[in-house]
Amino acid sequence: MPLFIRNSIISLIIAAAITGTVAYAVNYLNNARLTELSAIEDQLSIDTLSLDTQFSLLESAPCDSIASSTTLVSSLADLGNRLSYTENQLGTDNAQVIRLKQQYSLLEIRDYLITKRLAVACGTKPVTVLYFYSNAGDCSACDKAGYALSYLRNTYPSLRVYSFDYNLDLGALQTFITINKVRGALPAFVINGKQSHGFTSLEDLEKQFPKGALATTTSTR
Amino acid sequence: MNLEVLVYPFLFLTLYFESFLLVTYLGKPARESRRAARPLTTVPKVAIVVPCWDEGSTVEGTVKSLLALDYPANKLSLILVNDGSIDNTGAIIDRYAEHPQITALHKENGGKFTAMNVGIEYAKDAELIGFLDADSYVAPDALHELVAAFTPDTMAMTASMSIYQPKTLLQRMQYAEYVLGIIFRHVFASINSLYVTPGPFSFYRREVFEQLGLFKHAHLAEDMEMAMRMQRAGLKIGNALRSRVYTKGPPTLAKLVTQRVRWTTGFLRNVLFDYRDLLGNRQNAALGLLILPLGLISIASGIFVFGLAAFQFTQSSLHTLSLVQTVPLSYTFSWHPITWFYLPLTMMAFLSATLLLATLAWMYAGKHLSKTPGKLAFNVVVYLALYGIIAPLWLVRSVSDVALATNTTWR
Repeated sequence: MPLFIRNSIISLIIAAAITGTVAYAVNYLNNARLTELSAIEDQLSIDTLSLDTQFSLLESAPCDSIASSTTLVSSLADLGNRLSYTENQLGTDNAQVIRLKQQYSLLEIRDYLITKRLAVACGTKPVTVLYFYSNAGDCSACDKAGYALSYLRNTYPSLRVYSFDYNLDLGALQTFITINKVRGALPAFVINGKQSHGFTSLEDLEKQFPKGALATTTSTR
Repeated sequence: MNLEVLVYPFLFLTLYFESFLLVTYLGKPARESRRAARPLTTVPKVAIVVPCWDEGSTVEGTVKSLLALDYPANKLSLILVNDGSIDNTGAIIDRYAEHPQITALHKENGGKFTAMNVGIEYAKDAELIGFLDADSYVAPDALHELVAAFTPDTMAMTASMSIYQPKTLLQRMQYAEYVLGIIFRHVFASINSLYVTPGPFSFYRREVFEQLGLFKHAHLAEDMEMAMRMQRAGLKIGNALRSRVYTKGPPTLAKLVTQRVRWTTGFLRNVLFDYRDLLGNRQNAALGLLILPLGLISIASGIFVFGLAAFQFTQSSLHTLSLVQTVPLSYTFSWHPITWFYLPLTMMAFLSATLLLATLAWMYAGKHLSKTPGKLAFNVVVYLALYGIIAPLWLVRSVSDVALATNTTWR
């Protein structure tokens, strides 16, 4: 066999082998990410159920479960960040990503409901933000709104921000959207039960919060 | 659609090329050509032609380096051809006119190829005729190494070029580029796929000119044209890995771009117009089916990948800027813990890293095997930082000049 032909064939095999190995490694890492996300979700699911159960058990002193609830919300935020990154990497139409997002949304809704129950039982006044976004290309201000909320959550750790993909195919989420009367342009916010739409600036968003709400939370600034 | 997907075919082709380079490097012909130079059993008569055009600042160093060559004086003659210089080049070479080994000639300016042809006419008794640009210098053992590398069927021989005392950032970038070129030339020569016999220290058997004729204008790429003419005629071009020649790299961006536009337009015009038959030629399959097509693809990919990267960088920067303006700067620049989870370990990142490592390894091999002096590390950093940004300048200009049939200038 001529030298050039032989070298060409060997080179093709080497190039294909390297590309295949890289593809395998990237796929392995992506699966590891998904596995980690899944594990976090499982843990959060147990934590949520535990909190719910704790709340029921401590009917005489339900407010003892407030500490657990606060820890849970920060874990939820971390999971949300990881999920958002994975969605960017693997695409919005990835089946596993969609499944994880559905589970995440359910966890958020459950935590939101527990928070409301705790507030009634214990007389606390948590500031909750329901944030509805879309990544279907029809929400130009969603990135900015998401970043501004990340800043607020980071600055005021007790602020409870729940982010939802408006277009996610999940019955509970659609009911949640209906109950909270979210319609119209995105991004949409429900801040302590009050609806608003669109995002212009951080200052305008802060004005949507109840008077003194941000001041009463713990600032890290 | 994610535009990044369009880069993958180019990445795979580059990976294929790097693999081909490795396999060919490890092959028997390349291994044999890397063996130490044998003592010369016969010492051929050699003439070295130095075409000069306004090279007053460098020509004396060039001549001195030639006179210091470790080669029998009675077998070596130097022919200095002043191609109508308007600086002091003529006066400098006249100072050497009385030297027994040197012939100093003056002619009206007619272009480099005319000066080279005049030199050939005066090298009547030489078996090997070589050329050295008047801004280049040779190592003392360069000629011995080069002559020893000639095999009976080799008709021309190239040397290992590097940048002479790089000072500016652009020269340092070129230093890294040239040591990479050393290994490319070595490997290509082992499968007779060289398509250029560079001005700095390339040698030809006299029969080449008798059989194929003298140098031509060839779109200001006479060295490339002659090599392609030899390839068309089925003549073998070799490479002497340890024959070192140092050339002065353009120190400024304007001069560098002018030089590279001349080279690139010369390549495009010769390959696409005058020597189109070499493309796809099965008689020299390595050249016709791989090296020349990849040369064309590399020009296209250089422009495309740069354009895409510039577009994505601009888009991403504007997006980031708009996000950053949303919140206080202190938040953006505050410490955010990073775990492996957020590392951008993508297919693109892995393939790029693989190609980067391969390129670094080839640069080291080029420098090490040719014993080229100089420090590689810093120059490689400069190369990696600048080359991808600067090369598209001459690639775009060259393609535009060829497409619009714009005349190319020497300086």
